[in-house]
Amino acid sequence: MNRVKLLFFATLRDRAGTKSMELDVPSDLTVQGLKHKISHEYPTLKDSMKSVLVTINREYAFDEAVIPPDAELAMFPPVSGG
Amino acid sequence: MTFPTIFSITEDEIDLNDLLAKITLTSTGAAALFTGMVRGLTTRNAAHETEYLEYEAYIPMAEAKMKQVAEEIRAKWPVVEGIAIVQRIGKLYPKTPTVLIACTAAHRDTGVFEAARYGIDRLKEIVPIWKKEFSPDGEFWVEGEYIPKAGE
Repeated sequence: MNRVKLLFFATLRDRAGTKSMELDVPSDLTVQGLKHKISHEYPTLKDSMKSVLVTINREYAFDEAVIPPDAELAMFPPVSGG
Repeated sequence: MTFPTIFSITEDEIDLNDLLAKITLTSTGAAALFTGMVRGLTTRNAAHETEYLEYEAYIPMAEAKMKQVAEEIRAKWPVVEGIAIVQRIGKLYPKTPTVLIACTAAHRDTGVFEAARYGIDRLKEIVPIWKKEFSPDGEFWVEGEYIPKAGE
């Protein structure tokens, strides 16, 4: 198992009710697997998983990417700065 | 000569003159500066009023992505001299500048206008910043549409 940190921003933070959490995840877990895990364990976030953006160590990551040990992960909606 | 690149997320007022001075070199003869502000009254599409916006950012990633936008500008327009990209976060009221993208060059016909335009368009695509709108009708998060691609 890998220990990782997961950050939430904007709508994801509101729905999660927290800014961040620490998780133990299987060492072969992919981004897609992480989305499934979050959908199951945190029902308030289930609907958000369809359009969520995921980052690994501050770079955009896609469904097939495997999550490395000690990763800083983040989940958030499409950005709206400016 | 090294060209100055400034990128930051700040809670402080954006000082347009100070930033422009910092990216102006002795060889500079033109600057294109875009700033966006909180719009209190929207008439296009869904007409509404805005009391204020609350901005938040994933700060370390946002600053890294701003640096990436600056690098993309330099790759596309090598004649650009200075670049400043600044986003203000926190609670911001109508008429307040929230973002600045400025590019300088020797002359105005060098692509400097397009470079600044590219900068604001890319910021709105890949830099992790969000705003929540507070209006007389309630509050809601503004969400973008762009889905970054691999390598962005």
